[in-house]
Amino acid sequence: MLAFVGAAVVLQLWLLTVSVEALLSGEYKTLVPAAAGSTVLLAINVGLLRYVFRFDRDAHGE
Amino acid sequence: MNIDTEEEGCAGCKASTPPKWRQDFPIEWEGDHYVSRREMVKFLTLGSLLLAVANWATALASKFLHRGSHAERYIGSAAALEQTNSMLFRYPTDEDPCIAVRTPVGKLVAYSQVCTHLSCAVVYDKAENGLFCPCHHGLFNLEGQPVAGPPTRPLPRVQLEQRGNKLFAIGLKA
Repeated sequence: MLAFVGAAVVLQLWLLTVSVEALLSGEYKTLVPAAAGSTVLLAINVGLLRYVFRFDRDAHGE
Repeated sequence: MNIDTEEEGCAGCKASTPPKWRQDFPIEWEGDHYVSRREMVKFLTLGSLLLAVANWATALASKFLHRGSHAERYIGSAAALEQTNSMLFRYPTDEDPCIAVRTPVGKLVAYSQVCTHLSCAVVYDKAENGLFCPCHHGLFNLEGQPVAGPPTRPLPRVQLEQRGNKLFAIGLKA
């Protein structure tokens, strides 16, 4: 799971570089889709983290 | 029992009762620096949040970024350009270096002199028939498009107007 979260963060880094390059080039069409993609990756990461917390809570609850 | 007598206790006591300093600092040096996978995942998720926020900030910046200019400014005489085929000037402000070039076919073009790679000043290279960046050997053609080297974005074009012998910059297309 750590590897998956790490890969998602690397993808977000790449999306950020794409966004800044597009901003400097004046290609504004790319900006919102890139930000939306980054938000989707963030949602996945948060979901995984919540899963870990829930897993711990269930394990201690047993 | 104080710390001085603690170490003088029986052999069995020594093994089971740690000294007082150990009781005050129970975590070993390696354990103090240990980062569990859970902590790493939390940290990465925080980084993920910051990256998403930065991405949206970049998207919003496009609404506020002022690109281009339509101010009119006298930049020099056409006669000066005939002698050297290129001329430096400032447009739209004194902080913005630009270069005007008379192409081999006689067309007059002008661009921002700031290389789109790492902002070095480009110069007109007659042999290459383009604008050359000496820092990292980038080359732009006379349409402003990058044709060699690390630059990937075209040079912003300055619109010129010739009125008699006078040259005016009338717009910047970023």
